[in-house]
Amino acid sequence: MAVMEARCSSSVMLREFACEQNFLSQPDGSASFVHGDTSVYAGVYGPAEVKVSKEIYDRATLEVLIQPKVGLPGVRERSQEQCVRETCEASLLLSLHPRSSLTLILQVLHDDGSLLSCLLNAACMSLMDAGLPMSCLFCGVTCAIDADGQIITDPTAAQEKESRALMTFAIDSKKHNVLMTSTKGSFSVNELQQCIAVSQKASEKLFQFYRDSVRRRYSKTL
Amino acid sequence: MPTDTKRVRGPEASQSPSLFVSKPAAAPPSLGTRADGRRWGQVDVRPLFVRCGLVSQAKGSAYLEAGSTKLLCGVYGPKETERKDETDMKCGRLTTDMRFAPFSCPERGSWIQGSQDKDLSQMLHESLQPAVCLQKYPRSQIEVNVMVLENSGSVLAHAITCASLALADAGIEMYDLVLGCSIRQDGDSYVVDPSYTEQNSCSSVDSDNQGNLTVAFLPSLNQISGLQSDGEMTEETLTAGVRTCIEGCYKLYPVIQQALAKAVRRAAPPPSES
Amino acid sequence: MAAGFKTAEPLEYHRSFLKENCRPDGRELSEFRTTTLNIGSISTADGSALVKLGNTTVICGIKAELANPPVEGPGKGYIVPNVDLPPLCSSRFRPGPPGEQAQAASQFIADVIESSEVIQTEDLCIERGKLCWVLYCDLMCLDYDGNLLDACIVALLAALKNTQLPDVTISTETSAPEVNLEKRRGLHIHKHPVATSFCIFDDSVLIVDPTAEEESLATAQLAVVTDEEGRLCSLHKPGGTSLSGEKLQECISRATVRQREIQKLINKVLHSVKTDQ
Repeated sequence: MAVMEARCSSSVMLREFACEQNFLSQPDGSASFVHGDTSVYAGVYGPAEVKVSKEIYDRATLEVLIQPKVGLPGVRERSQEQCVRETCEASLLLSLHPRSSLTLILQVLHDDGSLLSCLLNAACMSLMDAGLPMSCLFCGVTCAIDADGQIITDPTAAQEKESRALMTFAIDSKKHNVLMTSTKGSFSVNELQQCIAVSQKASEKLFQFYRDSVRRRYSKTL
Repeated sequence: MPTDTKRVRGPEASQSPSLFVSKPAAAPPSLGTRADGRRWGQVDVRPLFVRCGLVSQAKGSAYLEAGSTKLLCGVYGPKETERKDETDMKCGRLTTDMRFAPFSCPERGSWIQGSQDKDLSQMLHESLQPAVCLQKYPRSQIEVNVMVLENSGSVLAHAITCASLALADAGIEMYDLVLGCSIRQDGDSYVVDPSYTEQNSCSSVDSDNQGNLTVAFLPSLNQISGLQSDGEMTEETLTAGVRTCIEGCYKLYPVIQQALAKAVRRAAPPPSES
Repeated sequence: MAAGFKTAEPLEYHRSFLKENCRPDGRELSEFRTTTLNIGSISTADGSALVKLGNTTVICGIKAELANPPVEGPGKGYIVPNVDLPPLCSSRFRPGPPGEQAQAASQFIADVIESSEVIQTEDLCIERGKLCWVLYCDLMCLDYDGNLLDACIVALLAALKNTQLPDVTISTETSAPEVNLEKRRGLHIHKHPVATSFCIFDDSVLIVDPTAEEESLATAQLAVVTDEEGRLCSLHKPGGTSLSGEKLQECISRATVRQREIQKLINKVLHSVKTDQ
């Protein structure tokens, strides 16, 4: 067990990540998030007036739009939108803004692997920047299992391509539980448990980064 | 061509394997008997299977099978009209939507509704509207959705029958049921309730009197609510064809009545004897 | 009284059942609705299957067409799955292009096909770089009462097992394909993935095979796809409330049992279809 523990902790290697909040003037909240060469911009509008057809009487309506780097959003983007939206819905306190709309727009600038986790991180930072009430924060971590059964966290596009299985988890900041999972490729239950454990460990790093970057920002402005 | 971004996309172009069949198709059967054993020039409709109430979410629904033609119809409403500007204070609105499943025809259809589907929806609407007491449903709309699961000819005629049965199953007030029947006129002879191949083939060289005819008929009022014909037919042939269709409709009538009675009995079982 | 309570307070109504470890339709928490399967009912398709899961009905029709192989994989073919939720199946769906749910379902099915390798696209190649099969797998929901994904996967698997591709040879003289529609062969199915969907109620209670009403009231949904070797092909949880490790383990073991049940059902129905002919 100790060996595995050691292997797990040693394999939690994340590429360098960076984030900038509030860099767009028009949206109510914005953030850019960079994982290595993967880069995403996020903008949040709201709470604002909602279309009658989309109105929900006891909570806000959240819309997530993902724009790919080139071309029009397709079926894959729609599936990613669903994942991001339902993760945000779980952490946002939407019932505080009934009958209003929230729009989150995610623009992919470059995809070099771990896109979905980058989208999730950008989404969380922009929601924070917009000052929307949330019950907890969340972060996205992608794990790949390569041909030898090694777990690679935050894989690049090349690593993703060679991998046997790819999993993305959204993890909440309160209990480090899994909010969302999206997987590709086949894997055993044991491998899944290991990946969850690794991701939970990686999430600590990300949450620490969230904390540092917000602290840095407010120490400048205040 | 704009690309469809809302579906999983395949290759740019693909062809049906039937285009590359090396052997010619079997010669059409001789005049007299049809491929499925029915006879030319006789009011020989395919045996019908109908069942009400298969779609649990709909107010009323009907499934119809005639030979291999398979249709499902669901009726929703009466409910508030979607387009507020078109709300009619005195009269309800009937909307019809008829679609073909992509696998329903010998050649794969596209998901995007073509002009054929829209034409058929329109004709279905025109045939059903006179039978529905729309003045009883002011400011509301009734939706009729027909899905063709397998197209083996005479789809419009069967869609009309199926839709009127679903409307009746939904408890929408109607003056009468609407039954549909179609024929294919081929020279001097005709086939009733044509199959897909019969509908699209023409055996006689003689170009007079070639055409398809579909009639929507209200049996107890003895009125025609819809008539659609294409091709070229003389006046006498056309009137004779309409008569044949009406005769065909009467053959369907008992089957539809029975299915409806069965659905009503299930919805409101007769009080027990004891 | 009960009907009024159900309409006015649907969540409380469901909770009162779940407290007693049962559900409004009389099922236990980990009980599926009756699954019925009808294979090969559409003669215009190369393979078809109709699945009923309680009231939920999904029909899958497979049409095979010929195309040029993809540039990035000259020895491969295509499988193109699409899910449609027409307004016929429920009043919640509008006519027109597929909505978000239908698109997400299409992507999910495409991912499961790729991950599980139910069919290897190499099997669909006829001549390398020249000709291959495209399998258009069109799934259509005819009655929507929850748990669309499970029904879709069963329909797809059964329809693939029912698919008979015509024989194709490439003529040496004209190098044009020649098709013999009489001579057909089945597809080689490598794996049997089966999906099992769950809903989480009030962040804690786990129920299997949710109805449409249960789906709309639940706080999270997840789908587990397993194959006959007990490997996971997909764990799809688009969001919602979190799930503990033990609960996840529970889901996976339920899914493996379900996989065996469905595989048995498909084989049984296929067998009865074959003996009929």
